[in-house]
Amino acid sequence: MGIREELERIRTEALKGLASAEDEKSVEEIRVKVLGKKGELTAILKQMGSLPAEERPAAGREANMVRSEIEKALSDALDSVRKKMRDRRLAEETVDVTMAGRAPARGTLHPVSIVTEDLIDIFRSMGFDVVDGPEVETERYNFEALNVPADHPARDMQDTFYIGDGLLLRTQTSAAQIRTMENRTPPIRIVSPGRVCRADELDATHSPVFHQMEGLVVDKGITMCDLKGTLERFAQEIYGADTKVRFRPSFFPFTEPSVEVDVSCSACRGEGCRVCKGSGWIEILGAGMVHPKVLRDCGIDPDVYSGFAFGIGLDRLATTRYKISDIRLLFENDLRFLKQF
Amino acid sequence: MKVSLSWLKRYVDINVPVKELCDKMVMAGFEIEEMTDMSETMSNVVAGRILDIKKHPDSDHLLICSVDVGGDSPVQIVTGAQNVSVGDLVPAALHDSRLPNGMHIKKGKLRGEESNGMLCSGGELMLTESDYPGAEVNGILILKKDSVAPGTDMRSVLGLDDCIIDFKVTANRPDCQSVIGLAREVGAVLGTPFRVPETAYKTAGGDIGDYISVEVRNFDLCPRYYGRAVKNVRIAQSPEWLKRCITAAGMRPINNMVDITNFVMLETGQPMHAFDLSDVRGGKIIVRNAAEGESITTLDGKVHKLTPDMLVIADGEAPSCLAGIMGGIESEIEDDTVNVFLESAKFRRDSVRKTSRSLGVRTESSGRFEKGVDIINVEYAMERALSLIYELDAGDIVDGVIDRNEGLPGARLLEAEVNRINALLGLNIPGETMRDILCSLKIPTDLEGGILKCRIPSFRDDMETVADVAEEVIRIYGYGHIKGTPMHGEVLRGRKEDDRIKADKIKDVLRSCGVSEIYTYSFVSGKLADMLELGENDPRRDAVRILNPLGEEYSVLRTQLTGSMLTVLGTNFSRKNDRARLFELSRRFVPKQLPVTEQPDEIPTLCIGMYGPEEDFFTLKGTVEKVVSAFAAKTQTVRADEPYLHPGRSAVTMINGKKAAVYGEVHPDVAARFGVECRCYVAEVDLSVLYEIPPRRITYKPLPKFPAVNRDIAVVCSEDVTAAALEECIAGGAGKLLEKAELFDVYRSESLGESKKSVAFSLTLRADDRTLNESETSEIMDRVLKKLSAIGAELRG
Repeated sequence: MGIREELERIRTEALKGLASAEDEKSVEEIRVKVLGKKGELTAILKQMGSLPAEERPAAGREANMVRSEIEKALSDALDSVRKKMRDRRLAEETVDVTMAGRAPARGTLHPVSIVTEDLIDIFRSMGFDVVDGPEVETERYNFEALNVPADHPARDMQDTFYIGDGLLLRTQTSAAQIRTMENRTPPIRIVSPGRVCRADELDATHSPVFHQMEGLVVDKGITMCDLKGTLERFAQEIYGADTKVRFRPSFFPFTEPSVEVDVSCSACRGEGCRVCKGSGWIEILGAGMVHPKVLRDCGIDPDVYSGFAFGIGLDRLATTRYKISDIRLLFENDLRFLKQF
Repeated sequence: MKVSLSWLKRYVDINVPVKELCDKMVMAGFEIEEMTDMSETMSNVVAGRILDIKKHPDSDHLLICSVDVGGDSPVQIVTGAQNVSVGDLVPAALHDSRLPNGMHIKKGKLRGEESNGMLCSGGELMLTESDYPGAEVNGILILKKDSVAPGTDMRSVLGLDDCIIDFKVTANRPDCQSVIGLAREVGAVLGTPFRVPETAYKTAGGDIGDYISVEVRNFDLCPRYYGRAVKNVRIAQSPEWLKRCITAAGMRPINNMVDITNFVMLETGQPMHAFDLSDVRGGKIIVRNAAEGESITTLDGKVHKLTPDMLVIADGEAPSCLAGIMGGIESEIEDDTVNVFLESAKFRRDSVRKTSRSLGVRTESSGRFEKGVDIINVEYAMERALSLIYELDAGDIVDGVIDRNEGLPGARLLEAEVNRINALLGLNIPGETMRDILCSLKIPTDLEGGILKCRIPSFRDDMETVADVAEEVIRIYGYGHIKGTPMHGEVLRGRKEDDRIKADKIKDVLRSCGVSEIYTYSFVSGKLADMLELGENDPRRDAVRILNPLGEEYSVLRTQLTGSMLTVLGTNFSRKNDRARLFELSRRFVPKQLPVTEQPDEIPTLCIGMYGPEEDFFTLKGTVEKVVSAFAAKTQTVRADEPYLHPGRSAVTMINGKKAAVYGEVHPDVAARFGVECRCYVAEVDLSVLYEIPPRRITYKPLPKFPAVNRDIAVVCSEDVTAAALEECIAGGAGKLLEKAELFDVYRSESLGESKKSVAFSLTLRADDRTLNESETSEIMDRVLKKLSAIGAELRG
């Protein structure tokens, strides 16, 4: 058989074999058989030297063409079998996508912490510093300096836990107002979240331990409109951009004028529903302009400076946000409750 | 403060529907606790005149009545009552009527005879004798002869065409604990005329001095005591209008004399008291502190032991009245009372409050004294009472007044700049408008040169500063005028305190470890110390006690968080939650001395608690280390000695010689005591130790350029050699070239021998500037093994 015929045979056989190759191994076998050290085509190429000089160029060209054709076929066949195998594997790996997912368990924050953090974020964005105060307070910081005189009913043992002469568990984070005003000079802009205690028996809506966030702003030219603007921003961040804020007159010893602050009911958009008891409004906090006596008592001249203060009930904010019907759940710490947040 | 709409209307014109009135009062600072439209209690019940009565042909006890109910022709109503006669005026519930007791009346047939409704008894209309005479007789209520025309709605006959509004009055407005005070507000809110009732009466001669003398021994607690005498009192029922007023306010009519004092209290806000003069021994009244050992039986029949801080109204012998709170049973007004002494006084509010609280007696009177009464109004209230006594012919007024006081305050002038008020409110209200508002609130005010000159009446003691004037102006002007302005001025930093930032970081680390946050009370049971088996001298037993706790369970400020955590683990275990990883970040309270004279230290503390199939000592330790490593680079772990922890599975983390964390498996006895019936784990971390560590600055370390060499070794040593000791040897032997040494296996077997263990480490060695070669590595390993050998840890053969 001449070289030409031999080359043609190798080419035909190789291409045929590759066309039917099912896996990488068969492809490799064909490569070794044809192009390996002892391969058929390799052998022919080695023989080239023994050909008559005039035949050599044509035969060489021919042989190289066959080789590159086979090399390409080998590479294509390899791609093809790899793809086939990959497709088969992928098909086998099909899972039931409706089965439950898995993720590393992450712990949850207490709902009161969540609302506290949210409020801190909102007020920090308005330039409020966050300060903390002690849970055990003196009568001076909790009452006297807040313009609650000694004969005021709020100072009764019935409402306040006392631990010693003039020492008590703070009943309001407002105590932080005084500490701040004594330690800083205006302009002052702070919020002070924290734990407070009142001698309330525990029931679905009362807890002897609860949490508040006090806000205080003192500067030159602070007005009630500033108070409203600040609370509007807060309310709109918490309850939605279309929330309206309403002031109603009220009384707190340390602010004058004092207001209850209502927001438009988000459940009915102010139309009146069960949530807001038909009024269209929900009471969320108490606020007012810092009483001139309080300012003066903290060494701030009320003829020069004015300010506003507000107090937000954090537990109540949490229970309303998450529709928690019983405040006791906040302190029972059942994991089935905690894991929902 | 409950008041009927009709009562308010006696003093002020109300030109809007009641709903609108309520809304406007809310916006002026008077929340509405409740509004009851009494006309809703019954419908379609009218006064009817009985024209004819026939026996029922088919019944012994039924009567067939023909009743004029105001229509064109009489209606037939069958009744079972026997007390009706022709000509009687009776309440007739017509077809489709509703009664206050919930009955719905329809026409029907009674034993074949048509009945177009029902004649009503007082009981069926839920009336008592004091609502309408005859209401409690057995049978149909017979109305007063010819008092109303047939067909008149029974609601107007009974005064039920009225609303009762319960106003919430804030603590700064004691003047509004009265109908007159509320009417004054209504007048300002609606802009309608307000009238204070006139007083007018004639006296019947005599001199009060012949009946009684009054001595006030404590003007501090009783700044004013005012009295008048009434002789020949004629005790009777009060007229309907008066009864209705006090019933609407939630009080019970008794007799004309008592009712008048109650009416005046509700009307003017000034509590009054009437003494039967025949029961005032020695003809004298002494306002004094109770003597040690004295007691009094009050009107409600209860005996109270008195203490010297309590103010009483005594006669010549003993206390006959708890000042401002309740009268004594002995001097009570009764049907045979002839002469009466009337008291109108001001008692100090905290004195009344303290006595009322400590005796557990709260009355309409004490409530008003606690909030504060107007010292000037004391006299007006008496004048009103005398006018009513005269008007109702309830007795003859004796001449002469007793007025004991140490001087009465004069008019007070409060000046407020219009500009200051506008600056505070952020508005631009004209001075004239402000003046008019103040005048409408009966605060006589002049406007002079931009200054409001307010003559503060005695009933507005709360008005002291410009801010008070601003509040009066804006609450009537309307808070709706306040428009929100965004915060302006210098931009301030919104900063968190460092400790809060650190706490946030800890919470984040813990959450990423699957630990959830809990909140528990700051006060706990004093028994927790015993439940944790703390030693007798353990400083954690020195807890601050609450003087007035809600109960033993909440009686001390906690000195550790572990007790609360174990309680919560117990709750979760009992609720069949099969695993728990919890933390609390709070404070513990360490007194500087006991009993406390200053604020205790509040030490930020973290508590972690766990149980469940995945947990063991090392999951807890790993979690604690995650937290600690956020702060400190170097820590030391030693065994703990805590009575509530497993002695072999508990440890302390030391940082710079300070205890930073104590943790471990909970002692099974203690766990069981808290209701956790499986292995559980608890850690308490003193955050004050972590917080004081200077924050670590992160400095980038170049990535290694040369490959590392890994070598595994296993050494056999005795059980008491700790992993930490072995690691120390490895570090010492390998020196700077040791990148890390990880313990990956601990193995025990008989062949190793008793109390022996094999511990395997994987060492990573690396140099910054070259690839370590074989001989260098061997040299290092030799040094390591030598060090290990020195503490009795030999390479395992």
